[in-house]
Amino acid sequence: MLDPDFVELSRWQFALTALYHFIFVPLTLGLTWILVIMESVYVMTGKQVYKDMVKFWGKLFGINFALGVTTGLTMEFEFGTNWAYYSHYVGDVFGAPLAIEGLMAFFLESTFVGMFFLGWERLSRRQHLIVTFLTALGTNLSALWILVANGWMQNPVGAEFNLETMRMEMTSFAELFFNPVAQVKFIHTVSAGYVAGSMFVAGISAYYLLKRRDLGFARRSMAVALGFGLASVCSVIVLGDESGYEAGEVQKMKLASIEAEWNTEEPPAAFTLVGIPDRDAMETHGAVKIPYVLGLIAKRAIDEEVPGIKDLMKENEARIRSGMVAYRAMTAIRGGRGTEQDRALFDMYKKDLGYALLLKRYTDKVVDASDEQIRMAAKDTVPDVGPLFWTFRAMVASGFAMLFLFVVGFVMMARRRIEKHRWLLRGFLYGIPLPWIAIETGWFVAEYGRQPWAIGEVLPTFLATSSLTKTDLIISISGFVAFYTVLAIIEFYLMFKFARLGPSALHSGRYHFEKAAGGAPTLADAPAAARKD
Amino acid sequence: MIFDYETLKFIWWLLVGVLLAGFAIMDGMDMGVGALLPFLGKNDAERRVIINTVGPHWDGNQVWFITAGGAIFAAWPAVYAASFSGFYFAMLLVLFALFLRPVGFDYRSKLDDPRWRNTWDWGLLVGSAVPALVFGVAFGNLLQGVPFHYDDIMRPWYTGGFFGLLNPFALLTGVVSLSMIVLHGATFLQLRTEPVIADRARQAAGLAALVFIAAFALAGIWLAFGIDGYEIVSDRPHGALPVPVGKEVVVAAGAWLENYSRHPVTLLAPLTAFGGAALALLFSRAGRPGWAFFSSALVQIGTIFTAGVSMFPFIMPSSTHPGHSLTMWDATSSHLTLNVMFIAAVIFVPIIIAYTSWNFWKMWRVVTVKEIEEQTHLAY
Amino acid sequence: MWYFTWILGVLLALSFGIINVMWLENETCLDDEECEGRGD
Ligand code: HDD
Ligand code: HEM
Ligand code: HEM
Repeated sequence: MLDPDFVELSRWQFALTALYHFIFVPLTLGLTWILVIMESVYVMTGKQVYKDMVKFWGKLFGINFALGVTTGLTMEFEFGTNWAYYSHYVGDVFGAPLAIEGLMAFFLESTFVGMFFLGWERLSRRQHLIVTFLTALGTNLSALWILVANGWMQNPVGAEFNLETMRMEMTSFAELFFNPVAQVKFIHTVSAGYVAGSMFVAGISAYYLLKRRDLGFARRSMAVALGFGLASVCSVIVLGDESGYEAGEVQKMKLASIEAEWNTEEPPAAFTLVGIPDRDAMETHGAVKIPYVLGLIAKRAIDEEVPGIKDLMKENEARIRSGMVAYRAMTAIRGGRGTEQDRALFDMYKKDLGYALLLKRYTDKVVDASDEQIRMAAKDTVPDVGPLFWTFRAMVASGFAMLFLFVVGFVMMARRRIEKHRWLLRGFLYGIPLPWIAIETGWFVAEYGRQPWAIGEVLPTFLATSSLTKTDLIISISGFVAFYTVLAIIEFYLMFKFARLGPSALHSGRYHFEKAAGGAPTLADAPAAARKD
Repeated sequence: MIFDYETLKFIWWLLVGVLLAGFAIMDGMDMGVGALLPFLGKNDAERRVIINTVGPHWDGNQVWFITAGGAIFAAWPAVYAASFSGFYFAMLLVLFALFLRPVGFDYRSKLDDPRWRNTWDWGLLVGSAVPALVFGVAFGNLLQGVPFHYDDIMRPWYTGGFFGLLNPFALLTGVVSLSMIVLHGATFLQLRTEPVIADRARQAAGLAALVFIAAFALAGIWLAFGIDGYEIVSDRPHGALPVPVGKEVVVAAGAWLENYSRHPVTLLAPLTAFGGAALALLFSRAGRPGWAFFSSALVQIGTIFTAGVSMFPFIMPSSTHPGHSLTMWDATSSHLTLNVMFIAAVIFVPIIIAYTSWNFWKMWRVVTVKEIEEQTHLAY
Repeated sequence: MWYFTWILGVLLALSFGIINVMWLENETCLDDEECEGRGD
């Protein structure tokens, strides 16, 4: 039996490194497209200011990208280093999208990102635009394949347990790729990135507008960010709803926990807006409910039931018992004592084998687990409701806050009033953290809500670890924390420095600080294309 | 499926070799450059020249490493699981060192402060030299066998420590891999820099080639006389389901040389390594950087396939439970997965090679101090 | 097919950004210190 503290530490390490990686990822996903927009306009109009925009926002993108790569390296190897049994058990299925991600996406983005930064002098305008586009495409394809992998952990389709090799094996690559969970997860997550990129550009441009610096530059950047951001925030919300619907299909327990729905309610199910979930009493205190909404989210209907936690737990208890039958048959067959009947039993119940593995937390002899142990294991299938309930609401609230900002901002900009409303500009500036709050809480909902499974209904998290010791993990976590903290300080320092400096950082002599310093050329000396025409 | 299981398993052994060789040739070039940076660049402008020779390439090159990791995960999941968790601290050391590269390349020239830049130069040195060294050490340990075994649910257990990895033979193979990478970086720099730096790079290449030849020869002799190899004696069809336990393996002196006497053509691998190093040395001296670089690429291929051929079909032998050793017949993925991944590789590798070549072709030039000083805010 | 939706959606969002800024470029003056705030 594995030490529970050791499992906790493994989870902490993964959570820390993944959440940290995902501070940088969304900005890359969104900002690359914004650069594509700006550069397309540059190629179409030939105005210098659009080239400056690509270069300046590209500089900030570069500062972010370096840490995206750095922290991504950790992720690529962490499955092997810290989740060895996981890698052994599902590598046949899970490794494939990861390897394809390298071949199809990382190569693309990484090869072209170098040309993006250093190729200005050596490429024609069109060629450079293509390079920018391919970088953006690469980052998005990387998201695609990693989310196919992650989607499979949530909903393991296209694979089967192999008794001889004692692991999961792929049965259909197409099913893996077209996994409905992966599809919605992909769009939801990349759209989240687009929103992050848009808020970032809009917020920093709002800062220049507030300071009344480099207005031409800031207004154009703002316009790009508002257009792209408005479309993206709508997409993230629609697909967020679709994610909830998919969860209602394949991860009922996750959905019920997010909603703190303890009891199956008579349709139409109501949505709990706020309340205080109580894990021990299994009820929610002070709940404020909105009728019909949950039924609509989870089932797209008002006359179907949404199963509650208590009922799902009972179902799971039954599945643990049938999983034990499969486990007994498996032991017999592997021990060479298996009969035809064992084979038949195994095939009949093997879909519940994962449930039997949940018992390994309480006993090594899964087959003679007591009723008490079975009940405890069934209880383990309920994730911790409180944190899920609240993080989910934080994500949704930030989503709607940003929807508000983008709609109002877009309308105001079109009506040329945005600079009159300083509160709105401040809203964008101070709203920069919002997408990150939504994104980090979103991953928390997705991953913590998957517990106790590493692979949904197949492999419990506590079995998935490597055979290391607590000391090993304490050392490695301390290393990561120390290293990542230093890197974060450096990156934030550079990011703030260059964002404050604005386009003057390009040393073209055309922008605020260089004009103010005198001596340097001013807008009047700039090529005609840079001026307003 | 085009190939039967047995053939596909062999193809994947070759493909992993190709990816590792691709990694050494591509990323080895910027790692070698990084390892030489503080020594060949005497002032800031020179160092920026050196960095900018690999500026547009290092990130794409590094993906050979990432993809080799991903491909091992997909094709040999048991190896990915057992080796990365077994070599835990060695892996972390590589990771932490690698962290310094993206940040070093991207952030170094963003601020003017000399202390800042100097720190990153040493960071780039560590980020380049340490991984090269550790990979060599890891191969040295694979050749000696690794203490690990499986339990009844096929969970891998590593029973060695970290410091055990740092034994003399493994350190020697570490020197082999470090010198081969430094050689590669030094030949690349001759191609892309002006005389002052290129001359220093020529000397560095000569030294690295000599160290490589000596260390490689010594490691070969040691392997022949001082290290026991492994051999499978029970027979199980190569196309059987991949179950890494339950075979019979003996440990025998000289077993790692068996493949060379059985298939003399495999001697090409070590010969390529030796020959490449000698040629790289001569061409560097003769001022023929293009040929020197090509020869040094041969060193990378030769060395990696020497390690592979010596151990074939083993990938990760177990010193405590030889019967649990991982081989390229029994540590693989299922037939379907190998097939899917084979198709993916056949489609994408040529595409990757095509656009990588475009990148090199477009960005190819001799980086000069003059150029760097003119473009202070454009280049790295 | 959500993947297909994504392709269309990205193109749509990109054109949204492009059209928005090009439209403002044509309809208003973006460079002058005062003109955007004036709201003519
Ligand atoms: C800008 C970021 C952002 C915003 C505004 C939202 N989300 Fe989200 N959400 C994410 C960023 C995110 C994420 C980081 O991208 C997650 C984590 C995993 C994933 O697929 O997406 C996520 C997961 C996630 C899940 C769990 C999916 C699963 O477990 O498979 C659901 C149900 C929602 N979201 C629903 C919503 C709803 C109804 C939103 C309405 C406003 C919403 N999200 C806004
Ligand atoms: C980069 C974005 C991601 C974030 C922010 C994230 C977040 C998290 C968090 C918070 C946990 C801890 C859950 C817990 O133990 O309570 C976790 C665990 C885990 N996640 Fe994710 N995750 C991300 C992406 C992925 C992806 C793409 C995969 C797989 C392809 C993945 C696989 C895992 C695994 C294997 C664990 C460990 C087992 C577990 O505790 O569930 N994660 N992640
Ligand atoms: C936990 C599983 C994950 C692994 C193993 C992983 C691996 C990596 C690696 C190795 C890199 C560096 C590539 C380079 O050198 O260019 C990287 C970067 C990147 N990853 Fe991840 N990643 C994970 C999660 C994710 C997720 C969930 C997404 C998107 C939804 C994502 C999107 C990206 C992007 C866009 C980059 C580009 C670099 C940047 O962030 O700026 N990754 N990842």
